[in-house]
Amino acid sequence: MTHQRWFTPWLLVAPAAVWLAVFSLWPSLNTVVLAFTNAKPLGGGRFTGVENFARITDDAQLGDALLNSVIYMVVCVPLLTLLPLLLAVLVQRKLPGISFFRTAFYTPVIASAVVVALIWGWVLEERGLVNGLAQQLGVLSGPLPFLTDRWLLLLSAISLTVWKGLGYYMIIYLSALGNVSRELHEAAFVDGAGPVRRFFNVTVPGVRNTMALVSVLISVSALRVFSELYVLSDGTGGPGGQDMSVVMLIQMYSRGFTGHLGYASALSLLLFAVTIGPMLLLLRLNRKAA
Amino acid sequence: MARRTGRGFGTAGPGEKLLRYGLMLVVLVLTVGPFVWQLSTSLKGLGEDIYTRTPNFVPADPTLANYGGVADTIPVWSYGRNSLVVAAIVVFGNAVGATLAGYALAKLRFRGRRLILGLFLATLVLPGEVTIISQYVTVRGLGLADTLLGVALPGAIGMLNVLLMRTAFMSIPADMDAAALIDGANVWQRLVHIGLPNVRGMLSVVVIFSFIGAWDDFLWPLIVLTDPENYTLTVGLQYLNGTFSANPRLIAAGTMIAFIPIVVVFAVLQRFFFKGVEEGAIKG
Amino acid sequence: MRKGWLIPVAAAAAVLLLSGCGLGGDGGAGEDVDASGEVKGKVTFQTWALQPKFTDYVQGVIDAFEAAYPGTEVEWLDQPGDGYSDKVLSQAAGGSLPDVVNLPPDFVLPLVQQGMLLDIEGADDKLNADYVTGGIDAYRYTGHNGVYAYPWYLNTDVNYWNTELLAKYGLDPAKLPTTVDELIAQARTMKKESGGEVYLMSRKPELGDLANAGVPIMAEDGKSFVFNTPEAAAVLDKYRAAFAEGLMPRDVLTDKYAGNAELFNSGTVAWTTGGGNYITSLATDNPTLAPKVIPSPAMGTPPLYAQGLSVASGSKNLPTAMALARWVTNAENQAAFAHLVNIFPSTKASANDPFFAQSDGTPSGDAKVIAFTSLAQARMLQPVEVTGAMSDIVKQQISLAISGDASSQEALDAAVEQCDKLIGQ
Repeated sequence: MTHQRWFTPWLLVAPAAVWLAVFSLWPSLNTVVLAFTNAKPLGGGRFTGVENFARITDDAQLGDALLNSVIYMVVCVPLLTLLPLLLAVLVQRKLPGISFFRTAFYTPVIASAVVVALIWGWVLEERGLVNGLAQQLGVLSGPLPFLTDRWLLLLSAISLTVWKGLGYYMIIYLSALGNVSRELHEAAFVDGAGPVRRFFNVTVPGVRNTMALVSVLISVSALRVFSELYVLSDGTGGPGGQDMSVVMLIQMYSRGFTGHLGYASALSLLLFAVTIGPMLLLLRLNRKAA
Repeated sequence: MARRTGRGFGTAGPGEKLLRYGLMLVVLVLTVGPFVWQLSTSLKGLGEDIYTRTPNFVPADPTLANYGGVADTIPVWSYGRNSLVVAAIVVFGNAVGATLAGYALAKLRFRGRRLILGLFLATLVLPGEVTIISQYVTVRGLGLADTLLGVALPGAIGMLNVLLMRTAFMSIPADMDAAALIDGANVWQRLVHIGLPNVRGMLSVVVIFSFIGAWDDFLWPLIVLTDPENYTLTVGLQYLNGTFSANPRLIAAGTMIAFIPIVVVFAVLQRFFFKGVEEGAIKG
Repeated sequence: MRKGWLIPVAAAAAVLLLSGCGLGGDGGAGEDVDASGEVKGKVTFQTWALQPKFTDYVQGVIDAFEAAYPGTEVEWLDQPGDGYSDKVLSQAAGGSLPDVVNLPPDFVLPLVQQGMLLDIEGADDKLNADYVTGGIDAYRYTGHNGVYAYPWYLNTDVNYWNTELLAKYGLDPAKLPTTVDELIAQARTMKKESGGEVYLMSRKPELGDLANAGVPIMAEDGKSFVFNTPEAAAVLDKYRAAFAEGLMPRDVLTDKYAGNAELFNSGTVAWTTGGGNYITSLATDNPTLAPKVIPSPAMGTPPLYAQGLSVASGSKNLPTAMALARWVTNAENQAAFAHLVNIFPSTKASANDPFFAQSDGTPSGDAKVIAFTSLAQARMLQPVEVTGAMSDIVKQQISLAISGDASSQEALDAAVEQCDKLIGQ
């Protein structure tokens, strides 16, 4: 049915495939090999069999970390699949000053981790903005330890993820919204459908593919969450390190000169195995729907 | 069904406008507040305390001296130029590489397509923390240590961008392609005349994402570059945070300097792709 | 077929891991290196976060070196403060370590293990005669003979107190606490008088505090950890009780070391510790606070912070590299550096310089004198064998003990067990 020669698709894919091989696959294979050694960043790599994996099973912190990641995913996926879509619909219409709002909403994405840490520290600390306001309004009698309690810290980090994610996914949705046929909207409008019904009957089906992609991206990045927890806990992983994510553990073990690369690589493989599950599931859903 | 009277579709009434602006203002306060604070810190003079119990948003005695201080301390212009070179390579690589691969993966049938797609997806999941040193050894092996090209190279085709472009191409209706096929258009013609016009939105997303990624990256350029002349802006700004001297006002000013180009790029590009959004790129 | 690709991959990975090893062979271990050739030609010199504030000073030292040794050329690279360990690591892995490189003691050990640094003691007979023992010992490592850097500038911790807060909340700035028990008692007064608004203490104990209480951190052979003693548990119990009583902010559970300096800067906490130059930097951060701060000597054994200049054993121009490292760290150049900022020379000749023993009467000058006199007893409180991950694990376990989620003994046992597993790797 096509005129294409067999190699045409490969020509198009070639540059990306080369990059994939050199900058992703090769280091990844390296990680697999390292996971069976006791390598340090500078030499000393000795084959140690499954020792690293044996340690995984008896690492108490890892249990906490996996639980944190799952909670993160369960909360973030619905919130970040829907809120940015609503925001995109909100700023989709051309109104005076709309460019300013669109740009402004995107700024959290570009903020450096240092700035984010400073500001959110002030907002959430015991004498910070939220506690101060809540006590003045009489909602709270004493301050809540948003940054020093195991569960509240997790909740704070999730809010930070949602804050940063709003603008990021809004952009993806905006470009997808451009592909939703205006005629369908007009037809629905003529049929007397209100904004809510048009949203569910026209907009949502129109961006379904994008929603599936976005939710895959969110679940993957939720399982791999790092910077928000790192920044809010000042790198410590919360009281007693109970708020570590798996990536924070990997970073803790692989960091710097004295990194335990072997164990960090084994943890990477574990994370890979954990993340691949939801991804395959969502891809399957996506294919069925399409 | 009764036809609606009054205003037609596509124009907002005063009530709706008010509601939209109200909601947007709420989101605005949440998203931009931090930057206002950062801006205000960068304008504070030496006589004003930075770390006080309640953050002070309005500088008592605003001054631009901190910006001059940054320019006196480090060669902002040449670092900025280096950052631009890196960002330009990365943006170009992603715009071309991700578009080509995304199109092939979305619209062409060939053996091994599923495998390639699976590999792209799989690499998204691997944490990069462990691999950064082996990436450096690769770049060094290519003879690109301490060059801007070496900084740009690993990010020059992002796997996420390939997937984003693929999704965009996927949402072009199949009959448009089929029609072109009947007219005898080859792959290249279909990509240029049917594909590209319909993915302008996503393409600008890819451009923005890769620009920001290249512009904001710190650790990787630091590892690749040795000669301070080659430093990018994010690395060079670290000189403001010296061993025995850290002035938060200078750091705030430096951060704003690095931040402005990103806002400019975004503000310029958003016109292009929001235009697509408003018109509805694909006519039913 | 499977094996067909696995072997090349494994081999390549091994090459990757071992890259750099072939550079200097076993550079130290008593082997005599000939560094006595002619001082001539080009060398690279890497410092850590000294630009732009000390650009003129360092460039001046380099220019004088080039003038003293005609025919030499020094390429100076100054690296930013953040990410320095990653930078040095990638240089080492890529086989491109600069000829002369500024390294703190904990960066040196992994490089020594790979034979990448020159044993200075073996190459320079006058090392022990010219430099203070504390500085030299910071660069000696269990299981490796020799000294792997010329000690450069030294520093230690001094206590800093916010006199305004002390006076306001019923404490006498003339009777500063000198022991942990006194500290806790005064913290109690401050909490009561301020109604919990202001704290005196804002730091949880670390390995250094345990060492200070006489607890051994590692076994003699440096191969296992032993700090889970009842004495160590007793130290933690003191802090645990103080935390439960509300004498420290909750932030101590998650704060890094810098956290208490930040609280001090914002006037929430009345005590912090910092180097001899702390007041100078405070004067920029918080100018209204700086004049109200007074220093006092650290409680117990003061910690030693050392910087040194190492010479890469793979250097193609060892004589010049050695000469440069020695030049930069000589008494004259170090003294000039110490006059610019409150840091302290590692040369014996500077020990009698009256400049360091005499205060100009300002709190900053007092801090200089206190730090200088403390240096005589200062030592490294945390062993260099403690890796980043181990240090994190210890902090986390101590935090669990302080918050009451685990008993002090349980937390220490868990920390020792995990660190032992890591050191075995």
